[in-house]
Amino acid sequence: MIVVRAPLRISFVGGGTDLPDFYRRTPGRVISTAIDKFVYVVVNRTPLIDKVSARYSISETVDHPNELQHTRIKAALLDLGIDKRIEIGSFATLPAKTGLGSSSTFSVALMKALHAFQGKKLGPSEAAEAASRLEIDLVGEPIGKQDQYASAIGGLNVIQFNSDESVDVDPVLLDFKRRLELENHILLFFTGLTRAAASILTEQKSNIDKKFDTLKEMAESVHEFKDRLLAGDFKGLGEMLHQGWLKKKSLASNVSNSAIDRLYASGKDAGAYGGKVLGAGGGGCVMFVAPPAVHSAVRAGVLAAAKEAGLNQFQEIPVKFVQSGAEVLFNGDHHHTFLS
Amino acid sequence: MEEYIKQFAERSKQALDRLPTKEIAKALNMLQGVFERDGRIYVFGNGGSLALATHWVSDFNKTVFSHHLDEHSRRFQAIRIPTTEEELTAWANDVGFEMVFAGPLQNYLQDCDIVIAISSSGNSLNVVRAVELAKSKKVPIIGISGFDGGKLNELADAKILVPTEKGDYFTVEGVHGVILHLMTEYFVNYFDQVAEEQKEARAGSNLPLA
Repeated sequence: MIVVRAPLRISFVGGGTDLPDFYRRTPGRVISTAIDKFVYVVVNRTPLIDKVSARYSISETVDHPNELQHTRIKAALLDLGIDKRIEIGSFATLPAKTGLGSSSTFSVALMKALHAFQGKKLGPSEAAEAASRLEIDLVGEPIGKQDQYASAIGGLNVIQFNSDESVDVDPVLLDFKRRLELENHILLFFTGLTRAAASILTEQKSNIDKKFDTLKEMAESVHEFKDRLLAGDFKGLGEMLHQGWLKKKSLASNVSNSAIDRLYASGKDAGAYGGKVLGAGGGGCVMFVAPPAVHSAVRAGVLAAAKEAGLNQFQEIPVKFVQSGAEVLFNGDHHHTFLS
Repeated sequence: MEEYIKQFAERSKQALDRLPTKEIAKALNMLQGVFERDGRIYVFGNGGSLALATHWVSDFNKTVFSHHLDEHSRRFQAIRIPTTEEELTAWANDVGFEMVFAGPLQNYLQDCDIVIAISSSGNSLNVVRAVELAKSKKVPIIGISGFDGGKLNELADAKILVPTEKGDYFTVEGVHGVILHLMTEYFVNYFDQVAEEQKEARAGSNLPLA
């Protein structure tokens, strides 16, 4: 058996500039951090069972990967030439579609685990590339590459997407004091609303021509965000997130909705410097940067707004940042290599 | 005599002025990462560098947590390779001196671990062999070298090179000790703050609910 763990991420600025229609014209850029919430993929060799099993929100057992409903597991197995005697399971700290990059995080963990299953080790960038290729090229999802890199590499980074498909990862080297300070300024809430990124991203993608200048400004502002972060200017960071969120809302009609707008406004009214909705929008999580002194007020404000909007599953997600990216935590498969 | 002493100190000062701060910062994040995933840190080197490796183990496993030993049930797991003189001599005698680190390392190394390789020249064959082993398993490498960094600096993920004239072992080994203590103090301070925040959080949770 092989167990891989990959972290989810919080994206601060630059989302959307990781789409090829943008970065093929001018470099895309995001700044994001891996967090202490994880997706786990478990892969198990079943030498006596000539089937393929995939266990996630449902359980599938089929004779050939072609018959799988799970598009990414299916595409990955076909691509790697694994067609039987395998069980794949996925587990996660948080539900899917929270806007924390869980779907690409799953792909990173899956690719790392399946390669380990074949006796190959993927380094951080290789795992990110493999996951991006799986989702974008093999499955044809209309998504970008930021989440695959954020999860595979871990830590807090500026990630740049170049027109030749290369990706530069520049770690933002915060010492622990600054890192803990940033953690202590962040409040993250799950709205209880889930959304699939694909539909919103499809609209965003078709809007790229119209919104090119906005996206370009977002990619540029990543540098300023990094400088403010290194300087510990949390008020400035909050204000930048606020501006970024306003820009992001202009990119596609359904990035926000009235419930989310009210949640956001209530946090801002309670003294948050700024914030954003995480992920492609339409639901997921709302994040605020707020001085610790007003955290209680922000919590109370957004909770009241959530109740009013009838968001029953609304709740706070405490987060810490992590340096570690996707990792093989356990690999007991080498005990079975004699069977193949 | 005093002039002689000043000249020695001057060489160390120059080396300290050129500390590769970015690479040290990267290494600190890599060590933070290995702690998060409960991986192990394998440290090795020859002669004075082996002494530093052992010093590293003691500082990381104990000193880093000294102020709050009870608060931190999970600690760094730093291990010097080889762990016994018996293994060192067995590998050297039976297989060859170039395998005294790579041989024993092979017994332990898992995907979620990390290695710290120390070599002033960066070219000690036994150190390079062990680093190549780690590289082949995609295990992150912190390379601590001197002179021009040699092969070790090429292969390492965090390239902590103390650039000096070739052969200036005393300056290099001295500054390597400074880097160890810098890293030790960083994590002492970090875990102190973590313990402090945990204490505050516990105190907060005892307050009556509003």
